Amino acid sequence: MELTINDGSKAAPEDVLGVLRESTPFHGAPDGLLRKIAAIARRAQYAAGARIYNAGEEADDVYVVASGRIEHIFTSEVGAREPLKRMTRGGVFGWAGLLLGHTQRLATVTALEAAELIRIDTEALVKILEAEPAPANAVMERFASMIVREFTLPELLAQVRRLSGEPQPEEMSSLELTMYRLGQWAKSPRPYLMLIGFALLLGTWYLTVEVWKLPRFREMPGITTVIKEWLNPNPVYGLSFYTAEYYTHIWVSVWRIAQAFFLATMLGVPFGLFLGWSRKFKEYVFPVFELLRPIPILAWVPLAIVMFIATESAVVFLAFLASFFATALNTMLGVESIDESYVRAANCLGASKWQVFRHVIVPGAMPFIFTGLQISIGVSWFSLVAAEMVSGQYGLGYVINTSYMMVRYPTIVIGMITLGFVGYATSALVRIAGDYMMEWRVRELALSER
Amino acid sequence: MDMRAAGPSGSPVTRGRIVIDDVVKVYDPEGAAVMAVDHCSLDIEAGEICMIVGPSGCGKTTLLNAIAGFHDITSGRILLDDEVLCSAERPKAEPGPDRIVVFQNGALFPWKTNLDNVIFGPVMQGKLDRKQAIDKGRAMMADAGLSSVEHSYPGEVSSGMRRRVEIVRALMNDPRVLLLDEPYRALDSLTKSVMHEALLEIYYKNKVTIFFITHDLEEAIFLGHKVAIMTTRPCKPKKVLAVDIPHPRDYSVLTSKRFRELIEETNDAVHEEALKAFQAGEKEG
Repeated sequence: MELTINDGSKAAPEDVLGVLRESTPFHGAPDGLLRKIAAIARRAQYAAGARIYNAGEEADDVYVVASGRIEHIFTSEVGAREPLKRMTRGGVFGWAGLLLGHTQRLATVTALEAAELIRIDTEALVKILEAEPAPANAVMERFASMIVREFTLPELLAQVRRLSGEPQPEEMSSLELTMYRLGQWAKSPRPYLMLIGFALLLGTWYLTVEVWKLPRFREMPGITTVIKEWLNPNPVYGLSFYTAEYYTHIWVSVWRIAQAFFLATMLGVPFGLFLGWSRKFKEYVFPVFELLRPIPILAWVPLAIVMFIATESAVVFLAFLASFFATALNTMLGVESIDESYVRAANCLGASKWQVFRHVIVPGAMPFIFTGLQISIGVSWFSLVAAEMVSGQYGLGYVINTSYMMVRYPTIVIGMITLGFVGYATSALVRIAGDYMMEWRVRELALSER
Repeated sequence: MDMRAAGPSGSPVTRGRIVIDDVVKVYDPEGAAVMAVDHCSLDIEAGEICMIVGPSGCGKTTLLNAIAGFHDITSGRILLDDEVLCSAERPKAEPGPDRIVVFQNGALFPWKTNLDNVIFGPVMQGKLDRKQAIDKGRAMMADAGLSSVEHSYPGEVSSGMRRRVEIVRALMNDPRVLLLDEPYRALDSLTKSVMHEALLEIYYKNKVTIFFITHDLEEAIFLGHKVAIMTTRPCKPKKVLAVDIPHPRDYSVLTSKRFRELIEETNDAVHEEALKAFQAGEKEG
């Protein structure tokens, strides 16, 4: 490294401030912050042709060009679209130390003509930034976008370090990440498109039934009737937001689902894991399993009633059955989907059979297990409602069926819409639990989507 | 200077000598006997980088799997430091942390952070408790320039970095032999060249025997002390070449005269086998 003159002296803050304001990352940052940065900056002079640093050296300082012209060439491993870049006043380089996972220079930089550079120690800079997280995050974001746009680096490489002052996406737990993504979602056009979708559905309902009174729709309960009934403290047909009975029905159904789903998960996941793990176990059990699985749940209703004298257990059993098949099958597929290399690697590293099961098979099957649980909660609602229609005294399926018998049409629709909401909420819970347990996957997907 | 004889502290490497003695492997699916390895014999010295070159599907991986203990052999025997790993009597070796494979497509557990991957071996074997393992793992990752990705998951870092983490995970167990199955196959040629230097750097710090499968002759001569060019299926050494370019090597070797000479010397043999494989219509494998 042959720099000719490097007096390393503190730069006069006013000069430095001017240069910083002209640079992409610091442009627009508050004065107070810039002054603090300027206070730690040093000035260095380089003769024409002098090497400023080489690729692979330790990335200590960030540089800002004050005058002169420099040439910045990435090593081939970096994968920049345009590896060569020339910079004049305001150009910023030497930011590798700010990137996630880099401590070495990624480029070789040479002065093309006599140049004056402002050097800022990376660690000291990070300390100053961490003290003021709000403007600092903006600076870091500008660094990141500058690196992608002006330096044509792949986005995956150009991930800036997290500042420990404030939680950044990388620091978030998966739950927070989910919330963060929800926030992002609210800012995108998607929720508004969704609202339009709902408006279309409800509008069609209103127009076909109440305005145009089309032949087949005329007899249906209209949207205004349903909403009036739903919000009526003294409902005509006996069921609305204001009646305790409404909540009893919801509660009974949810409680049945909770029992069925819990049982199906507790039994189905281990069962599926063993099916996938042990060839012998699969040979015994799987043919029977495959024969029982396609039998529609409704076909089980009579047997269930005969088997369980109490209707309550019969209904839970039917919901359980559907749920169990979905969970077990997906778990088994999950185990079978695990790349043989992971098992071999674990064997190489000295893991026992039980350790392989615990550390490879179970987490490896997890994505499929949660897919299975999503399906499982859906089919358990499906079969629960079917079962409640056939027998039982409470529950949303029962509401729909009795309302039909008693010609209370608006109540049918209330029951249906309630089912939609409750069903959606339960599967959202399963999804959140999955995100929580598979942080690695949430992060991987977040990266590939970005 | 030949770096082969000296360990990290200058002591000679005494562990990791592999002797492949007259090994035959016949696959016999539904009675159609296919000979994958044909009376193959090869000596690999302790602390040597031995490169196995052959066209895709020639049976090199079968040999690696036999050493690692993933597959059995039909006859012959394989010894590691004079202990019999497998023979006709005990055809399948037991996989273990003295011989660690770095897989073609990488096998870091995506559900564990890089650091948890690195400490997996010693913790599973009960050699270190979690805390000690973390200390050792962090030190080794720092050595390989991987400190900043300790808490990232493998899916969050570049493929080149993943390979480095995987090699560190292997070295955590202080293995006698590293078995690399075309580890850089999926990387582009630029990343590959950086990875070669990184591998050599790691090798100079931790001397182990390296059994490295590739179909890339330049890679083989650049990295290896010894290059064994294999015949296409059934697989056995066609030509074994001692590479007399001194270690430590860096990328300037690629443009050296001796390197070019060695390539020329061996290119015909490799090409001939590749052509045979092509005519036989061998598939990948």
